[in-house]
This record gives sequence, structure tokens and C-alpha cells, in this order.
Amino acid sequence: MTDISYLLLVMLVMTVATYATRLTPFVLFSRGQERALLNFIAKNTPPMVMTILVIYMLKGVNYLSFEGVYTFIAILVTVVFHLYKRNALLSIIAGTAVYMIAVQI
Amino acid sequence: MIRSVIKTTLPILFGFLPLGIAFGILFQELGYPWYFATLMGICVYAGAAQFMAVGMLGAGVGLFEIAISTFFLNSRHLFYGLALLNSFGAWGLRKFYLIFGLTDETYALMTTITVPKEFNRERYYFLMTLFSQCYWVLGCSIGALASSSLDFNTEGMDFAATALFTVLLIEQWLKVRKPLPFVVAFSSSCIALIFFFQHMLLAAIVLSITTIIVLRFIKSKKND
Repeated sequence: MTDISYLLLVMLVMTVATYATRLTPFVLFSRGQERALLNFIAKNTPPMVMTILVIYMLKGVNYLSFEGVYTFIAILVTVVFHLYKRNALLSIIAGTAVYMIAVQI
Repeated sequence: MIRSVIKTTLPILFGFLPLGIAFGILFQELGYPWYFATLMGICVYAGAAQFMAVGMLGAGVGLFEIAISTFFLNSRHLFYGLALLNSFGAWGLRKFYLIFGLTDETYALMTTITVPKEFNRERYYFLMTLFSQCYWVLGCSIGALASSSLDFNTEGMDFAATALFTVLLIEQWLKVRKPLPFVVAFSSSCIALIFFFQHMLLAAIVLSITTIIVLRFIKSKKND
């Protein structure tokens, strides 16, 4: 398999997988029925997914090196910016800039 | 209507353009021609998943794992539709595109704003979705193109994805204000890290959703 055909296959697979997540609720619940368990899951999934995603992003970090320290500082900067300004874009740029400067120096 | 839509989607432009550029630059490091970044923005159109894909493409991860990871990474979209079931009009090409273009940002806007009375809601939503995707595709393309002409050290830029999720996590906390889902997710992640390190994402999501359903079931039994 060449590199390009691998890339195209990956894109195809990702397109279908992404569209499936977006389309499924519209197909399953064409009329807005009330379903207690469904609403319960719908309400609780976003906070759980975000928690898991943050941990997922941090699992590859080597905590015995400076990388761990830089990651900790950059996350702290992101959180502090966000709590003070509540501007998602600004917080992301600030945290990323701090991390990039730290690893490149 | 176009002017009104541009004004409404301006925050999305500010969010998508730099994030798209970051993706484009990162994508270029894989060594593919720049227009594949454009193509990915058009076909896949999912921020977090595209960032994840760069790492997986670099490691040559198998198609099945990529499909599953993408599905679960985007599984929050499964629940976005629930709030918009009756907002997209009749089934047709437009509705299929509105669903295709449903991202965190468009979802947040659509569920927050009120479409001005003089405009047709579905057409307004359609333009919002179309413009948002254009910002994203533009960002991906600029990033991929600029990285070959500009000498810019991108080391560490992938932290943008971590920062994005951190910000979304804070937003979730400010909205939910109940520790239970966070505690369940944290515990599930720890268990998943110990037992399923390679497939931690999938394992933690399945485990946490199962746990929270079981907890609800136990609670309702107690109340009987």
C-alpha cells in the first residue's frame, strides 16, 4: 500500500466515521420523543468525554523529563487564562505559546 | 442575509482559522502535498479528529483502529443532534449537509442564537454551516501552504489540542457543576490506563458510560 492510498483510505474511513456520529441521532429519533435514559446519557456524556480526552492527551507525556514540567505549566497557564478571561481562543493560544517556547528553548 | 451570517459566525472564523492553520502546519510534517490538508478539511471536517489523525498517520495505525478512534472521539456529536432534531427542516440535501457540518462551534451557536425574523431559519443555518466550513478549509490550506514557504519551528504546537480539550473541560464544569460525571470519568480513565493503555480512549468512554448507567440504576432501585 503506497503512502497516498493509505492517506486516502484513512480520510475515507474518517469521513464515514465522523458523519456516522453526526447522522445517527437524526436517523434514530426522527421525532423528538422523550426518553429518560437517553436524555440522562446525553446530559452526562460531554463532561465525561472532556475529562477522558484531557487525560488521553496527557498519557504519552514523559513525566520524568522536562516535558512533564512544561506540560504542567502550559496547562496551568491555559486554565488561569480561561478562568480569568473566559475566551477559549485566547486561552488555547496562550497555553500553546508557553508550551512551544518552553520546548524550543 | 449573507452579511448577517458573517457577523454571526465571526467568532467561528477567529476560532477555526488559527486552529486550521495549526492543523495544516502539523499535517505538512507528514510530507504529503499541501492539498491533502485541504481535502481533509472538506471531507472529514472535524478538528480534534484531524489532529489525532496526524499522529496516527505518522505511526501508520491500522484503518480499523482509526475508524473506531474517530467514531469515539466524535461520539459527543451523537448527542448534539438530540438538541436539533426539529431544527433542520425536511429531509433533503440541505439537511444532510447541515448534519455533516455539525461541529462543536456551529452546535453552540445554533442552540444559543435566535435567527432574525426576516430570514428563513433553515437557509440561515445552511449558510452558517457553509461559511464555518469555508473558514476551516481556508485555515487548513493556509497552514499547509505556509509551512513550506515559512521557516517556522512548529515543535510543541500539537499542545493546541490539549489546550482545546482543557478549555472545553472547564466549560463543561462551569455548565454541569456536579462532580459525579467528572469523578466517574477520572476513575474510568485510571482503570483504562492500567489495563488498556493502548486503547485507553475507547475503554475509558465505554467504562464511564456503563458506570454511570449502573449508578443510575442502583439509585432508582434504592428509591423504590
